[in-house]
Amino acid sequence: MRVPVFTPAVCISALCLLGCGTQVHSVPNPPVVSFKPQAFQPPENCLPCHQRQFDELRSAVKSGYRNVSPLFNGLESAGNLVNGGLLRPVYKDSTVVLPDGTLLNTNMYTSPVLTETRQVQAGFCFTCHNANIEVLGDSDLTKREVPQLAGLGTCNPAPPAGQQCFQPQLFRPLRDYVMVDANGNQILPLAPGGDPPTGAMPSLAAAGITCDYCHDENGPDLNRSFQMDGFGNTSLLLNQTDLKVGPFLHPVAVKNNFHVASNDPDKIAFLRAGAFCNTCHDVRVPNRNLVAEEHNMNPGGENVSYFRLENLSTEWQIGPYNSTSNPFGQIVRCQDCHMSLFPYAGTTTYQVGDMTVTSPTPGMFATDYAAVPGVATDQNAPLQQRKVVEHYFTGVDVPLLTPTELSARLGPNYPDPYAAGTDTHGVPDGLATRRADLMKAAARLSLSKSDTTAQIGQKFTVRLEAVSLTGHRLPAGFSQERTVYVQLAVTDNNGFLLYQSGYVVDKPHPNTGENMPDGNLDDEDLEHLHAVVDPGMHTATYTAGTATNGGNNLVFEAGPDDGPDARIFVGAQEGLVLFRNELTQIFLPGQPIGHIDPVTGKSVMAKGVHFEETFQAALANAVDNFRSLQPLHPQTYSYEIQLPTQQQLQAMGVTLQGPLHVHAQINFEHFPPLFMRFIAGVTSANGPSGNNLNLVDEHRIDSLLKNVQNIASDDVTASLTP
Amino acid sequence: MKLRYRYPILVLLAVAGILVAVFAQSGGYTPGEFQSTNPNYPKPNPFYFEGKIDWNLLGITTPQNAWEYLQRGMHFQDDMNDIPDAINDYQTALSMNSLQSKTCKVVTMADLVMINGKLTVPAQITPAPCMFTLRLRLGFLMRATSPSTAIGLFQEVLQIDPQRLGVNTLIAETWVIEAQQATDPPTQQQDYANAIAAFQAELALSPVTQQSMALTGDTANNSKVHWELAQVYEATGQNNLAKSELQAYVSATKWHSDVYPWRIALANSQIQALAKVK
Repeated sequence: MRVPVFTPAVCISALCLLGCGTQVHSVPNPPVVSFKPQAFQPPENCLPCHQRQFDELRSAVKSGYRNVSPLFNGLESAGNLVNGGLLRPVYKDSTVVLPDGTLLNTNMYTSPVLTETRQVQAGFCFTCHNANIEVLGDSDLTKREVPQLAGLGTCNPAPPAGQQCFQPQLFRPLRDYVMVDANGNQILPLAPGGDPPTGAMPSLAAAGITCDYCHDENGPDLNRSFQMDGFGNTSLLLNQTDLKVGPFLHPVAVKNNFHVASNDPDKIAFLRAGAFCNTCHDVRVPNRNLVAEEHNMNPGGENVSYFRLENLSTEWQIGPYNSTSNPFGQIVRCQDCHMSLFPYAGTTTYQVGDMTVTSPTPGMFATDYAAVPGVATDQNAPLQQRKVVEHYFTGVDVPLLTPTELSARLGPNYPDPYAAGTDTHGVPDGLATRRADLMKAAARLSLSKSDTTAQIGQKFTVRLEAVSLTGHRLPAGFSQERTVYVQLAVTDNNGFLLYQSGYVVDKPHPNTGENMPDGNLDDEDLEHLHAVVDPGMHTATYTAGTATNGGNNLVFEAGPDDGPDARIFVGAQEGLVLFRNELTQIFLPGQPIGHIDPVTGKSVMAKGVHFEETFQAALANAVDNFRSLQPLHPQTYSYEIQLPTQQQLQAMGVTLQGPLHVHAQINFEHFPPLFMRFIAGVTSANGPSGNNLNLVDEHRIDSLLKNVQNIASDDVTASLTP
Repeated sequence: MKLRYRYPILVLLAVAGILVAVFAQSGGYTPGEFQSTNPNYPKPNPFYFEGKIDWNLLGITTPQNAWEYLQRGMHFQDDMNDIPDAINDYQTALSMNSLQSKTCKVVTMADLVMINGKLTVPAQITPAPCMFTLRLRLGFLMRATSPSTAIGLFQEVLQIDPQRLGVNTLIAETWVIEAQQATDPPTQQQDYANAIAAFQAELALSPVTQQSMALTGDTANNSKVHWELAQVYEATGQNNLAKSELQAYVSATKWHSDVYPWRIALANSQIQALAKVK
């Protein structure tokens, strides 16, 4: 009889294989831990032994930047200003009583099961970006960085006797709270939204997603995920001990026992899997979705309905990269693109449909030390080099703050997003460069199926095939505002422009003080839609809702390049190819839609069931997450282009010369400028708070909103006949 | 037991021991399964998802209801370029979501209910709400072959949502097709008149107001409608009105250009030519 020989290496490999898939495991009840309690640590405490990881993480937007981001803070403020602060956390000592008599004293993270919509709303944005801070501050007032607001959701109806209304003039953006003095005591700007006080330093909350946040993981929290699957809304259990979960078993012991490394193969496998990222990268908003019934599946959670804002994790979970049916023949995890050398470690050529694609290879990792040799280990035990991950977490975002502003809020020497040079692994130091390179790996297009001949006065069809190479749809994340689109132009041989789509025009923006075109195109909206969102206004007595707090569209007009509506709802082959998803507000009959009747001066009411795109996420009651480009699934979009007649050409004094040239390229727009201008308005001194929250203005839009042009392109020609 | 078997068995026992210890330490893990329902298939609540979902993600083998036929029709039309099958599916969907046979309804204020002090719509409405995407898609494909059917479908969309942008333009464009197909002048004149009325109804939905001018700097909007309306006026010999619409078109393109930018030069040339016509 022969018995297979199980060497330790084989056993470890087998354990790894068991844990490296995407199946997630849960701890139904918090484990009984015997590790030394350890509060969440600031990343600086990890720096001495993990300098490289610290440096990389510091430039990741999910780390410090997001917490001081004008956009994130503005969006969170806009949501609170329309609903009376409901998105701010409540804590254990809360005395808020809900209309049904329930005491509201748990938030999105501390509620064991989310049975009330208000629990999900409580700390909705803050939880995803600072769950550890929310936990620390739940019972310890000295560690509570973001306070519970008074008068949540009031005054409509008026609050109970003895309680005050929500007071928008006292409202501060979250980032006001993430500063401390030299003694570690919280300090606030003098006025809401003011500049950092002298001597201000970043607090623990300012660090956002820290080393501890991930390495304190204790598995998914199925009870708080709406589908009981560990997806979304920070359905992650966190330890507060010195036990840290790393990516491999049996690391060398840590100097001075600063922490111990988990040898739990499940937790290690979880950290290494897409499932870990899934706990946060679906964002489900607790508003009723009028076109899709979804509610919390957990017992008691039936009344919590939601719509899917970020749906990235679900997209990956059911997509080709979470299988072996992709060009790489193996599961490609989030970590393989966002924590690897991607897109700087070689390319692979493969076939997608009838398109031959060459793109960067995922899952390539540098060889390096996981900790600093001679510093990190007990008795300076030697370390071995191994495959290590990058902690840049590069995505589509770059800070909308200057380097000076970043350093003022996040500490000196904050990495310049536009820095030149590369690190020791050959990865660019500048986040902007990494973002652009990542985007350029995201899609390909082809015009090869277009008509090869065109005739004056007739229709000419351009057929554009586009494919996303991403692990999720493109765009993903906040995909209802992140914008990927096709810019297309048809010219004759002399450069005479016959057709354009996906173009922008330099124009004034009087609503934010740009009264003349400024020569900048990155601050211009695409021409499928002309919209201006109501920024609201401050009133003596606050009433929740859109009447004075804004959010509805004051102007909402179809533009000349209206492809999204024409293509989706009508089936016409014309206009802008836009891969941006859409938040929709469905107005019910009789509801004010935000426009003002020019004759009566009164609000225009919905005469039927009226669907309209909204740029205020808090007002959305439907979402279309299928406009983005599905991964590895080429889509063809036709443009039926009417060429001018000979008579029209004569009237213009133009003679066309063949061949026609068709150029198409995919561009990425950081955020729609009109969305930024809404945030600018609602957080301005004229907005509902009555204070300039110092977040977004026209100058910031003009100077820092940088788009990525020409992610992919193609050109063809067509012969022209009279 | 021979020595050569001892080592692997000891290792197995050790591994088993580690596993037991690990699971004891973690309190026992239970598998988490991804949600059992298809996250890409929206269950109406009460409105249908109006839009297109990638057909391959829906998991539909054979359509069972109006919405599924609509989705397959869109797949045929957009992904397969199979227009006859698309029309078939749209027509089947329409037969299941029809105002005439009362298999759908236009939701009005009377359908709303008060929940928690707020007027809202119940999760279920019987019959189900009428879908507008279905009518727009089918109408668009029938414009040339059956313009009156197309206009009827577009008008049903206006019953569902009288303020939906672009629907009046579709009606107007279809009246223009009718006019071009008409053989007798009175019918043609009436068709053009209907087109003009529909274009004007479209313009009325996004009026240029003091507020809109202050916010945008635009003194005109809806360039496409102004352009097409000018063509109708020109075709019916109403030159002053044609000139006026061309001027509105040029104004509307001032900060927005056009997908056909040469039309701006052409419009200016036509304005000059029309100015010379007495």
